[in-house]
Amino acid sequence: MATIEFNQVGKSYGSVEAIKDFNLFIEDGEFCVFVGPSGCGKSTALKMLAGLEETTNGSIRIGGKDVTDLGPGKRDIAMVFQNYALYPHYSVRKNMGFGLKMRGYPAAEINERVEEAAKILELTPYLDRRPRALSGGQRQRVALGRAIVREPAAFLMDEPLSNLDAKLRVHTRSEIVKLQRRLGVTSVYVTHDQVEALTMADKIVVMKLGVIQQVGSADELFENPCNLFVAGFIGSPGMNFFRGAIQNTDGRVFTTFGGAQVPLPDSLAARAGKEAIFGIRPEHIVMGQGNLQTELSLVESLGTEKILHFQVPAGQTIDNSEFEMDDEEDRDAESMRARIIDDHKYQNGETVNMDFPKSKIHVFDIETHAAIK
Amino acid sequence: MKLSKFFGRFSLYATVITLCAVLLFPVYWMILTALSPASELRAYPPNFLPSAPQWSVFTELLANHPFDVWFLNSLKIAVVVMIISLTVSVLAAYALSRFRMRGAQSMGLFILTAKMLPGTLIIIPFFVIFRSAGLIGSLWSVIIAQATMIIPFTTWMLKGYFDTIPNELEQAALVDGCSPIGSIFRIILPISAPGLAATSLYSFVISWSDFLFARTFVVTSDSLWTLNLGISSLKGEFVTDWNIVMAASLMTSIPIIIVFLFLERYMVGGLAAGSEK
Repeated sequence: MATIEFNQVGKSYGSVEAIKDFNLFIEDGEFCVFVGPSGCGKSTALKMLAGLEETTNGSIRIGGKDVTDLGPGKRDIAMVFQNYALYPHYSVRKNMGFGLKMRGYPAAEINERVEEAAKILELTPYLDRRPRALSGGQRQRVALGRAIVREPAAFLMDEPLSNLDAKLRVHTRSEIVKLQRRLGVTSVYVTHDQVEALTMADKIVVMKLGVIQQVGSADELFENPCNLFVAGFIGSPGMNFFRGAIQNTDGRVFTTFGGAQVPLPDSLAARAGKEAIFGIRPEHIVMGQGNLQTELSLVESLGTEKILHFQVPAGQTIDNSEFEMDDEEDRDAESMRARIIDDHKYQNGETVNMDFPKSKIHVFDIETHAAIK
Repeated sequence: MKLSKFFGRFSLYATVITLCAVLLFPVYWMILTALSPASELRAYPPNFLPSAPQWSVFTELLANHPFDVWFLNSLKIAVVVMIISLTVSVLAAYALSRFRMRGAQSMGLFILTAKMLPGTLIIIPFFVIFRSAGLIGSLWSVIIAQATMIIPFTTWMLKGYFDTIPNELEQAALVDGCSPIGSIFRIILPISAPGLAATSLYSFVISWSDFLFARTFVVTSDSLWTLNLGISSLKGEFVTDWNIVMAASLMTSIPIIIVFLFLERYMVGGLAAGSEK
């Protein structure tokens, strides 16, 4: 068990900077998740921590020891790969014991540890099978088993659930969290799935284009995103955005949404007259009250909850080019969504009243996209 | 539906049987010629089974010709060429497959063009080089020439195989404490057994059946003749004992069959199955 530190770490491929000025401290026993869209550098950062990629500058410490120039085998880490990377010519038992064998452990101890890990992961009946004779979920557990028998200082996991089907993914997600809590080993987990990040992590590192955007707990990132990117990336469905001017009339600070006033915190009074981007999460929109009126363009019923779609007023949309999300996360810039749990039978085309509570409105600088407190 | 299935299966078996018959007929004819009495060799209509198999033809071959010397020379050449080409092509193919370096792709294509040159085209430069190096009249001349011709192709065969093995397997081995070389020997090569077996077989068969290089580089020294050179010497100016020629050919084929049967078990694909999702 150990702390992990990245100090001014950078990684360049020729003139392309994949990771820039990466600084991070992970506490002993913490479950840290790197999350971000494809190409944001999260896997590169993990591979640098594992020693599978060299750093261009900066240093990495595990348990206080500088490991920047050490090979992967000397860093006392274990890694679970996205495609499991099980040795196909070895049995499950040999796969799990391989790391210990390489470190010169006696056969009896290897066997004892493998049996113990197999019991935890319910792999005992499969110990003498080859990986090809296992299901995807079982292979995934063997990959985890290979990591835990080593009792390393840190677990590194590179999108280990991405090859599982949705149901198994949810189950395995909770199994990994329970296992990590039980073993108490510092863990770094990479995913592009923000739901995984929010549900598993003690600490989330949101990345974009090789730069850390924000570090914090799930609640911190959800409640107080530091910029437009984090606000849009964290949360599902994502935060709604619209542009408008901050106005101050007779001490009342507000913006407008389709002509109607939306009250804003008094702290924004000093910015009156300036344009800004406003954000409100779908679950924070209150339906059936307030002075904002809109026509529902689509009603999606998910059983207990409903997702209501409505249009952003003309002239108040935020283009995707401004939004800085990657193509996969492309969103409908002209539409907003509300997430509602109530008994009202909403209809497509219905005109409804709604309210954006003042305390739930997020405000971002139109130039820098940084959150305005 | 059932009728079309029957006809589908029937035409499949008919095609397979016809192909096997065409491919195996020369082998059958070789055995028949070796075992038939001389009087039956030119009989018309031909006999498709010898009236009295002449098993003595094999003892006659071994007693009257240095077949054992030819066999040993061919074996030395084939085994050494196989070892050299396997060693060089494993390292070269691994480098081409794994290391991202400028010009790697064009280097790979350039290597392959070497394979496209016919042996007859490069035999003269080979001869000049070997004569300068004092290798004419040595088995090494045949070994080097054969290895030079075989390595480009085996490198490409193995590169293709290594390309299919995910990088993560080596990375997992490195994290588990293997050295980079250790990860090749413990993980990559065992998984590549089918590719290595196919490469070995190709190398063995090509060098075992060499005639051109042996005929050019070692023909002047009887003790260095290979099987194919020896067999060609069995053809007389006026009379050719076809029983002996075919018996020698038959015995020359046997090692190839043995090597194939030995390597066949490794040539099943899908050894890497199960390593991934």
